[in-house]
Amino acid sequence: MSTQKETPDKPVVEGVDYDALEDLLGETVIDRESHLNAEGFVVRPDEVQDALFTLRDEAGFDHLSCLTAQEYEDRYESIYHLKKYDDPTEEVSVVVPTSKEEPVSQTAEPVYRTADWHEREAYDLIGIDYDGHPDLRRILLPETWQGHPLGKDYDQDKPQLVSFDEHANPLQEDHADAESDTMFVNIGPHHPATHGVLHLETTLDGETVADVDPDVGYLHRCEEQMAQQGTYRHQIMPYPDRWDYSSAGLLNEWAYARAAEDLADLDVPEYAQVIRTMGAELCRIAGHMLAVGTFALDVYGDFTAIFMYAMRDREKVQTILEDLTGQRMMFNYFRLGGVAWDLPEPRDEFFEKTRDFLDDLPEALEEYHDLMTGNEIFQSRCLDTGILEPEAAKSLGATGPVARGSGIDYDLRRDDPYGYYDELDWDVVTEDGCDNYSRVLVRLQEVEQSAKIIQQCIDLLEDWPEEDRDIQSNVPRTLKPDPDTEIYRAVEGAKGELGIYIRSDGTDKPARFKIRSPCFHNLSTLPEMANGEFLADMIASLGSLDIILGEVDR
Amino acid sequence: MIAQQKTLLPDRVSGLLGLGQYGVAGDLVAAFLAAFLVGNLMLAMTGVAGPWAKRKITAAFTDRIAVDRIGPFGLFIIVADAVRLLSKELIIPKNADRPAFDLAPIVVASSALLGFAVIPMGTGIHLADPEVGLAYVFAVAGIASIGLAMGGYASANKYSLLGGLRAIAQNIAYEIPLVITGASVVIFTGTLQMSEIVAQQADPLVTVAGITIPSWFAFVNPFAFVLFVVANLAEVGRNPFDTPEAPTEIVAGYQTEYSSVYFVLFYLGEFLHIFLGGAIIATVFLGGPAGPGPAALGIVWFTIKIWAVFLLTQWFRSAIPRVRIDQLIQIGWKGMLVLSFANLVLTAIIVGVIV
Repeated sequence: MSTQKETPDKPVVEGVDYDALEDLLGETVIDRESHLNAEGFVVRPDEVQDALFTLRDEAGFDHLSCLTAQEYEDRYESIYHLKKYDDPTEEVSVVVPTSKEEPVSQTAEPVYRTADWHEREAYDLIGIDYDGHPDLRRILLPETWQGHPLGKDYDQDKPQLVSFDEHANPLQEDHADAESDTMFVNIGPHHPATHGVLHLETTLDGETVADVDPDVGYLHRCEEQMAQQGTYRHQIMPYPDRWDYSSAGLLNEWAYARAAEDLADLDVPEYAQVIRTMGAELCRIAGHMLAVGTFALDVYGDFTAIFMYAMRDREKVQTILEDLTGQRMMFNYFRLGGVAWDLPEPRDEFFEKTRDFLDDLPEALEEYHDLMTGNEIFQSRCLDTGILEPEAAKSLGATGPVARGSGIDYDLRRDDPYGYYDELDWDVVTEDGCDNYSRVLVRLQEVEQSAKIIQQCIDLLEDWPEEDRDIQSNVPRTLKPDPDTEIYRAVEGAKGELGIYIRSDGTDKPARFKIRSPCFHNLSTLPEMANGEFLADMIASLGSLDIILGEVDR
Repeated sequence: MIAQQKTLLPDRVSGLLGLGQYGVAGDLVAAFLAAFLVGNLMLAMTGVAGPWAKRKITAAFTDRIAVDRIGPFGLFIIVADAVRLLSKELIIPKNADRPAFDLAPIVVASSALLGFAVIPMGTGIHLADPEVGLAYVFAVAGIASIGLAMGGYASANKYSLLGGLRAIAQNIAYEIPLVITGASVVIFTGTLQMSEIVAQQADPLVTVAGITIPSWFAFVNPFAFVLFVVANLAEVGRNPFDTPEAPTEIVAGYQTEYSSVYFVLFYLGEFLHIFLGGAIIATVFLGGPAGPGPAALGIVWFTIKIWAVFLLTQWFRSAIPRVRIDQLIQIGWKGMLVLSFANLVLTAIIVGVIV
């Protein structure tokens, strides 16, 4: 807390007055950059914490949304994208250049705990060394990996040796005497409760979790690298479907579409925005259904009625999405400047089918409440377990239903409007319980809100005049944004804030494409929730985070 | 009806085959044949329940169809599954504690089978009727805990160890309420002999609108019945008390490392235990083989009763969450134990005053 004078309750800066911010930061700013989303202050690598503490405590930037690291010809650069949980349209970036010879930069971990995982990823993929970081290990790649794959001098033909060593018990030293021994257990990468290839290095003290360290990266598919090799116009859009593949594909596509459209200054016709909004909310329902069903699986035991009911309802959504996009999971439906095609003909049939689904939904949701939230054993399992206090949630960068379950009123659809959301009537759901139960409640209620949005979209689409049905604006065949334009844009995915950073270099491919995955940062809250709790509660908490490993590992 | 049950199955076999003339050897052969019959009856039921009925029941609860490809109603899946399971490779972990690892599945499966020896199943199917029948059946059912503990530690797997420990903690916590509640029935009957417990339930309790309700102990003391059913669920480790296996927490608990024949034995043992639990419930609380129609239909009614208990376990499996291990132990020691003792004392007082 070096520069903190006292605890100021209200931020000094109202709105985004960058000159005032520059004055506030004073000497630490050595230069200023303009990104499309926000101004960036360049600070020296040994003054990162000073600048961030000032921005957090005196200007109210309490959300480290993303950290983008990249290598230029002459330097390395870390960009801290800061936002406010109260108003995410207020953004500022802190740009930290470091030299090629000695890529050492001060860590931001004491300011924002979420920087822990951000910086480990940056170290892993780019090779920047964060000085003072408590635990700077590789996070996505195996610990024995040589080189940093997104660095410029990386030799991808070099053979890599990955050893198969046993994991050590991190608490062995603390429990030297035989009476109080701890046991190290590998939960995953193949385990019924990890929802994919996640590895939890867990240390148990009896039935209690003494320490848990999520080990991710088993599903790392170099998505950022692949996006950097594709052209803006068509070659990148199929990839987002593969991040969060719980049928939430359209939401991911929107993240890329939003960033790229703002970067290349493309318009989207209103009609296409309504279709996008409808499709995205259908995807959100499908994603939340899967989340609720698998959470029930974790708490209930074997394949239960709830899981099957959730899959059944998700199936209905997928059928509608299939009619709309031609695909059930990997939609590839959005295009820069609109969507691929109009609603399926005959339109009436599509509307009727969707309306039928929406009409049946309240009854289906009632069933979930009967089976889950109303069940006393379920309540005794979920209430007051997996506590995530709002302060910790903010510091750890939690977003989406996880943050809203902790009472943080933060939803980009409302706070940083895009698409057609600000024209529609719907509410952001929050619950104050901070526990596993709240997170389930939030998801179930969000399904209701999504249904409300879809209902309004359908009414709009049905009455839309035939001559105005533009599904795409005019987009140049080859997109070549101006060199050195940088943008960071986020949308509200099914799991939370899904952000994309793109830097263009004048070609038709991005020079740097960075994905801010909500699952990745939501997962980093697991130790906060699970340490000291029972093993069964840790599994429930993990389920309540609703992680999709495809998005965690990218 | 009572007279018929007095003739035990070994005697009947002996009489039918004329084995009586061979003395002790004849008795042994007759007893063996009778036990073979009963054992196969129960194993056949498990065979139907495990690969087929369980799937069908769960599917009905979860809006699915389940097995329906092979044979009528998919029944031949039983054969296919048997072949599949038995033809799998028997994998034994490197560090397994050998004799214990091999014995555990046998102990689990056989302990349940032993229990059926004293259960009167109607239609003359009753192997033995010792005076300590009820105590015997609780005792042999309890042996399964040893098998689970053996499997848990001998597998050299941390999940197995956790599962084994959970199983023992759970069985100790729920065995006592189970036996205490069973004892409250003994206060009524004044005997531990199974045939006598069944016989006493044949008397009419009340007659409502021409329908005679027999004095089954489930009607006489419904509170004890509920306690017993709950304790029994914990005893056989079914939802909401399936914590020792808890697939999403500790993979499969004590049976994580078991494959092929050993796995089949464990699986068989678990289903036998469900049926043994059902048999005890039926005998002690539901009048045993009693039911409308001629006494020869006893085995049919008995089967229906134990399948009803099986259905109940599968229903809970589809609909009720699993309790956490600390909650499980708390319910056992702080709830069930207190209630079962209260039930015992109250029953004793009431019986003492009225009778």
